[in-house]
Amino acid sequence: MTSLTTSPATSPGTSPTSPTVRRGPAGLLREVVRRPSAGVVGLLVLICAVMTFLAPSFLTYGNWYNLAQQMVFVALLAIGMTIVLITGGIDLSVGSVLGLSAGVMAYLVNQGMMFGLCLLLAVAAGAALGLVNGLVVTKLGIPDFVATLAMLGVAGGLLYLWTGGVPFTGFMIPVYDTLGGVTPLVGDLTAPILAMAVIAVVVAFIMRRTSFGRHAYGVGGNREAARLSGVDVGRVRVTAYVLSGTLAACAGVLLAGRTTAVAPTIGVGYEIQAIAAAVIGGAALAGGRGRVLGAVLGALTLTVASNVINLASVSPTWQPVAVGTILLVAVGLDRASASLSRRLGRAAPSR
Amino acid sequence: MPDRDTQEPGPQELLRVEGVVKHYPGVVALSGVSLDVRAGEIHALLGENGAGKSTLINVLSGTTQPTSGQVLVAGEPVQLRRPRDAQDLGITTIHQELSLAPELTVLQNIFLGRELRRGPFGRGLLDEHAMSARVQGVIADFGLTERDLRRPVGEFGALTQHVVEIIKALAFDARLVILDEPTSGLAEEERVMLFDHMRRLRERGISLVWVTHRLDELYGLVDRITVLRDGRTVATTDTTESTPADLVRLMVGRKTTSLGVIAEGRTPAERPADPRAEVLRLENVSRRPVLRGVSLTIAGGEILGVAGVAGAGRTELARAILGADRIDGGRILVDGEPVRIRHPRDAYRLGIAMVPEERKTLGILADFPLDKNTTVSRLGKVARLGLMLDRRRERAVTRDYIDELGVRTTGAGERIRNLSGGNQQKIVIARCLFTGPRLIIFDEPTQGIDVAAKAEVYRLIHRFVAGGGAALVISSEIPELLHVSDRILVMREGAIAGEVRPDLRGDDLEADERVSAEIMSLAARSVA
Repeated sequence: MTSLTTSPATSPGTSPTSPTVRRGPAGLLREVVRRPSAGVVGLLVLICAVMTFLAPSFLTYGNWYNLAQQMVFVALLAIGMTIVLITGGIDLSVGSVLGLSAGVMAYLVNQGMMFGLCLLLAVAAGAALGLVNGLVVTKLGIPDFVATLAMLGVAGGLLYLWTGGVPFTGFMIPVYDTLGGVTPLVGDLTAPILAMAVIAVVVAFIMRRTSFGRHAYGVGGNREAARLSGVDVGRVRVTAYVLSGTLAACAGVLLAGRTTAVAPTIGVGYEIQAIAAAVIGGAALAGGRGRVLGAVLGALTLTVASNVINLASVSPTWQPVAVGTILLVAVGLDRASASLSRRLGRAAPSR
Repeated sequence: MPDRDTQEPGPQELLRVEGVVKHYPGVVALSGVSLDVRAGEIHALLGENGAGKSTLINVLSGTTQPTSGQVLVAGEPVQLRRPRDAQDLGITTIHQELSLAPELTVLQNIFLGRELRRGPFGRGLLDEHAMSARVQGVIADFGLTERDLRRPVGEFGALTQHVVEIIKALAFDARLVILDEPTSGLAEEERVMLFDHMRRLRERGISLVWVTHRLDELYGLVDRITVLRDGRTVATTDTTESTPADLVRLMVGRKTTSLGVIAEGRTPAERPADPRAEVLRLENVSRRPVLRGVSLTIAGGEILGVAGVAGAGRTELARAILGADRIDGGRILVDGEPVRIRHPRDAYRLGIAMVPEERKTLGILADFPLDKNTTVSRLGKVARLGLMLDRRRERAVTRDYIDELGVRTTGAGERIRNLSGGNQQKIVIARCLFTGPRLIIFDEPTQGIDVAAKAEVYRLIHRFVAGGGAALVISSEIPELLHVSDRILVMREGAIAGEVRPDLRGDDLEADERVSAEIMSLAARSVA
């Protein structure tokens, strides 16, 4: 066993020289480029710079305030998606889970149930759907892609059957105005923005500093090695889906408050945006990589893009095209910055 | 132009490597390697991990470009810019991790990417007939039948997969076949068969460059040997003119090292005087069809070796004890108490840890730094309030292990994938030790690591049991088991075929030979 001596690590015959960080412009550039999600930040800055020139209204407090309001839903979904992607899975069902949870919320509020309880049950519904996803994937061994695709269909279909095609409305009691961000909490701060910030910080903490987070990266990096190391792979994966479902439900509850109606199509297409935002933010579909901050930045990028389309008075039907293009450009930039950082690293020893 | 003239390039010289240098950022992988390979010879390439063997192979197979130096094939300087260049010159590399598609058939694999075609529209159809005709003359020599060609490669064992790679080389007129540690995944008799195949290739006039760690395999097979150390060629010698001790000295380059020291057993002081309490007992443990009624006991301070051919159920036994696979019969007792181990996590809680075989795919978490690799099995020990991971403590703990186990690295934050195999293995062992185990299962603990690192792994095993721990060591290398174990169980077809006791002093060669003969006959009896 270890004798607890805290002598500095002076291992004998240390061979490769450690890459010490060099200051100066080249060192700084290397630092920046080496950061994960350098690509997405670069893209974001570029878009913003161009837009500031083209549309004076872009770089205003009002516009960015709107952006923050709009990005909440994709950001929450993307955070959940990032967790699942880190463990090496994928969750295609988030759009439908968002919709069904929003439906549960609207229905229960309309039944006159206590608001807090409605909230709890709606979020629990999302968690439960996530649990089903997780169990189907781990216990039945059905591939994640298939299992969550099935859930996408089932949950979306249930909402449609339940509403009978007619949106749920009339649930906007005053407290929901606050939760949905129609009335701000303090000053300009609205509940959805606060919720997004708090959730992002909490999940970032979970992924970086708790056993679950560590295990999630391990499972995504090498599932079998993690299992043989005593990691409960099944539980980690199920937990990831539960978290994704929970976050989708949170997004659904907030979105219902913002749109003041739960249409049967409320969550349609969100899964694409969530995956795109997570991947733009640096998550790898192969697992083992991804960051919460990256997911939020990815969501912001997509929101800025649709904002740009609005401000430039281009038809909003172009939005999916923009999402796809940005996805390619962001991931491409990430690749480029990775190879640039490798090149810079290689140049270093010759100095 | 190189003014240093080369000795007259003998007519039979096929490959010559001159002064090849390869720099990576921060590391010099090769600092002047030369190698010459004659036509129709088996040429062994020896060296510790990190000596530059893999880099040299990558240069020869066209996956890495050298910083300087040149490669000549049949006297002509050549540029190997991509793998295809090497293949076109008749150089085929068979990597340690075989590059076959398990779902495709043998024939499909042989011609993958280079299919023979026929038909009108730009020869758009696959010509199955021509393809099987092309390998017809070869397959019988290597023990494959016409039917085997149409079976998926995944159905065959490691040996046949090597054979498929060899046939693949022959089908495209290879002149030089590079084998990167082909025997590390093979059982004893499979190795012997592979050696026959290698001789057969030599008879066809094909040269082989063979990378290996096992000195005992060289004699009677290899014509010449080149030894690399620290990215340099230190010697090329005829096999008949060198002893294993010479080779080890050349590889390690330290004066004091000899085979005797490397394979040293425990000193009597390190052996427990009296048998201690039983740690693990298996009673009729089964997992059909791979394990059938296995019973064994291990006591504290004891090293139990497990021998057997590939497929005899050794790894399956380890996985069953660890709970990685379910058992369908029998009982497992820890400290005399029956336990249920349904998941590796349960095993770790009971004080059982494992160093898995295939370090790269099952052992390390390649993207994690050393500290995260060390603590992953028991994160609770470095968490505050049982929740918040304490990065500083993780680092400190890992640094202690780095010092204690002699891991060569730049620090606890380095990614494990950058370490050599032996050092990776030490971190995997550190991970086990960190869980505070009483039993560690070592599955092929020295597979693919160099001689010096092997000695250190043995030392760690010995130290662990000297502290009262129990060890179960699974190995395909009988000499390793003889030197490390107190008792050796021999497995055959999922059952225990017998138990042998090695000579404990480790200096009686005759006794060693007697015991290994006993092991081999137990392991193979009903197979023959």
